[in-house]
Amino acid sequence: MQTFTIKPFEMPPCSAALREEVRAIIREHVTDGDIARRANCWQVNDPDFSRALGKAGFVGMTLPKEYGGHERSALERYIVLEELLSAGAPVGAHWIADRQTAPLLIRYGTEEQRRRWVPGIAAGEVYGCIGLSEPNAGSDLASVRASARRDGNGWVLNGQKIWTTNAHISQVMIALFRSEEGSERNAGLSQFLIPLDTPGITIRPIINLTGEHDFNEVFFEDVRLPADALVGEEGRGWAQATAELSLERSGPERYLSSMVLVTELVRHAAATGDGAATALAGRFVSEAWTLRQMSLAVAGRMAMGEDPALEATIVKDLGNSFEQAIPQLVQQIVDLDLSSDDPIAVLAAQLLQVSPSFSLRGGTREILRGIVARGLGLR
Amino acid sequence: MNEQQTMLADMAGGLFAELSHRATVADNWSSIEEMGFTGLLLSEADGGFGGGWVDAGIVFRLAGYHALALPVVEAIIAARLASDAGHHVEGIGTIAERTHGTLDGKRFTGMVRGVAWGRDAAFVIAPSPEGGALILSMADATIDGSSNVADEPRDVLRFTVAQATPIAADIFALGAAARSMQAAGALDAALALAVGYVNDRKQFGKPLGKLQAVQQALAVFACEAAATNSAAVGVAQALDRGDSSFEVAAAKLRANMAAGVGTAIAHQVHGAIGFTHEYDLHPLTRRLWSWRSEYGSEQFWSKALGQHVAGIGADNCWAEMVNRSDPVT
Repeated sequence: MQTFTIKPFEMPPCSAALREEVRAIIREHVTDGDIARRANCWQVNDPDFSRALGKAGFVGMTLPKEYGGHERSALERYIVLEELLSAGAPVGAHWIADRQTAPLLIRYGTEEQRRRWVPGIAAGEVYGCIGLSEPNAGSDLASVRASARRDGNGWVLNGQKIWTTNAHISQVMIALFRSEEGSERNAGLSQFLIPLDTPGITIRPIINLTGEHDFNEVFFEDVRLPADALVGEEGRGWAQATAELSLERSGPERYLSSMVLVTELVRHAAATGDGAATALAGRFVSEAWTLRQMSLAVAGRMAMGEDPALEATIVKDLGNSFEQAIPQLVQQIVDLDLSSDDPIAVLAAQLLQVSPSFSLRGGTREILRGIVARGLGLR
Repeated sequence: MNEQQTMLADMAGGLFAELSHRATVADNWSSIEEMGFTGLLLSEADGGFGGGWVDAGIVFRLAGYHALALPVVEAIIAARLASDAGHHVEGIGTIAERTHGTLDGKRFTGMVRGVAWGRDAAFVIAPSPEGGALILSMADATIDGSSNVADEPRDVLRFTVAQATPIAADIFALGAAARSMQAAGALDAALALAVGYVNDRKQFGKPLGKLQAVQQALAVFACEAAATNSAAVGVAQALDRGDSSFEVAAAKLRANMAAGVGTAIAHQVHGAIGFTHEYDLHPLTRRLWSWRSEYGSEQFWSKALGQHVAGIGADNCWAEMVNRSDPVT
């Protein structure tokens, strides 16, 4: 048995130079005094920084040039992402549009949709959100009830989405709706491209436990959309939404959300010489290095046109467990004054609070482990 | 894997499966020699296979997968290091984990411990008290037989003013890298046994594998096995690139962590049958427990790696992790 297949691939020849370009942008722009914003930075929004990255060609990197993209390789994009994430750069605003919205439109969208949305995304100016969860459809995503009904040439949407990250800053949502009345489970679902300024849409904030506003509930009341709001094929929404899960599950954001705290732990270990802190830093570096091997191996295989879905799921489960454990273990080993402005304490305090979400977002730990079990031949 | 590596894997996998943990040097070493495994890391000019560490990693993983009770891993490493030093000795070479003693010029007096199959070897490569390593002839050794908990020979050798050839290799690091590659195989094999068992064994009217608690545990195990395999490939690639001290520490540490988690889950899902001598789980798990201690514990490598990154500074830590594998331009 070999559960994790690794195929050899070459890192791009320009890797080192590309890293230096990204590091230079980070040095120039990420000078924000609020250290807490470096934690879990792909859920920290800074439209100015997103525009700066867009200008530098670091958003929409793999997309065709005719839509504002840069036709760089998937591994070049990987390098840019891991540099941004490890430094705690605020990449939240454009993250979903860059990772999911634009690639989905390039793959399934109409020519008009691509021209309307993708250049703005690649410029770091247009942001997206994903409408999947509903009050009664979370892990059991196939219980989606929000409905899309044909009306003349167009569609009428009704229903509710919830836990929609960044709906309040996004111009566009890609959402899963039940387009066939009476259909069950994952049949009869379709994906829709929804400009969020369409009449009938109400977005209400849900404040998270730290008092921050990341996610929302979104209500649809007789929202009228033209025929081409349907993305891809009618009734194929489930297959389309799940087709690119490997990319979503195995990216560097699945293990680097707490990396800035590892950096501070290394600083603490170097300054104090504390043996336990030093050993913990060594352990984190070993785990991070290993996860990077795994995440890159998946990226490498996807760059070859494969879909290593089981490997991607393993990366997410292991990566989330790692990034979630970091603040707990730092708290166990280091005497922290969580009321101080000491960077290690500020980051630990922030990550202790937000890390419960790491093993929930994008598929809960239990769901992922069920998928791994099925991949092993259980169930 | 390329075509040559697939052939190598088929060859090693077939033979090691047949030999398994029941092999003995007396009965079975000739089949290893016949296939030319000990020359895996020797150049073709020296009569070897001309392989690199990624190739060796494939063979080491399979040796672990089949709990092979022969010093193939050690002999491959020893042959390469001896050949690099222009030191040509007939017979099985092996490696040692620890040395206590003194080197006076090229004469070594002292004790060498953790010598894999020392009793069957012609020469041993041991860490030198002066740094680097020493090639020592078994003809000069007195042997105290000893074994690890998997019954793999780990002999203690004593030398008195014995001829020693100093070489530059870090044998402790190579041993650590090799054990992480073997652990990758052993974890995958134990996982396969566990999956097979829970799919067959019925309780409460259904296979154990239908129980979510069992599924979740085996998923955790699969993640640990996957991590160890990825780390093992990563360290092999680093050995082929050159400087590999960072990757050796990271990989052995990760393998040790996985061995702790994986062995516990493998036994838990097997229930009592996995605790019997008759059932073939223990050749794997007892090796994993042994290898977890050999060539550096979690504490040893986590301190070493932690001191390394603290030494280069927090703001260089990330770059140290990633720049190493970027192509040199």
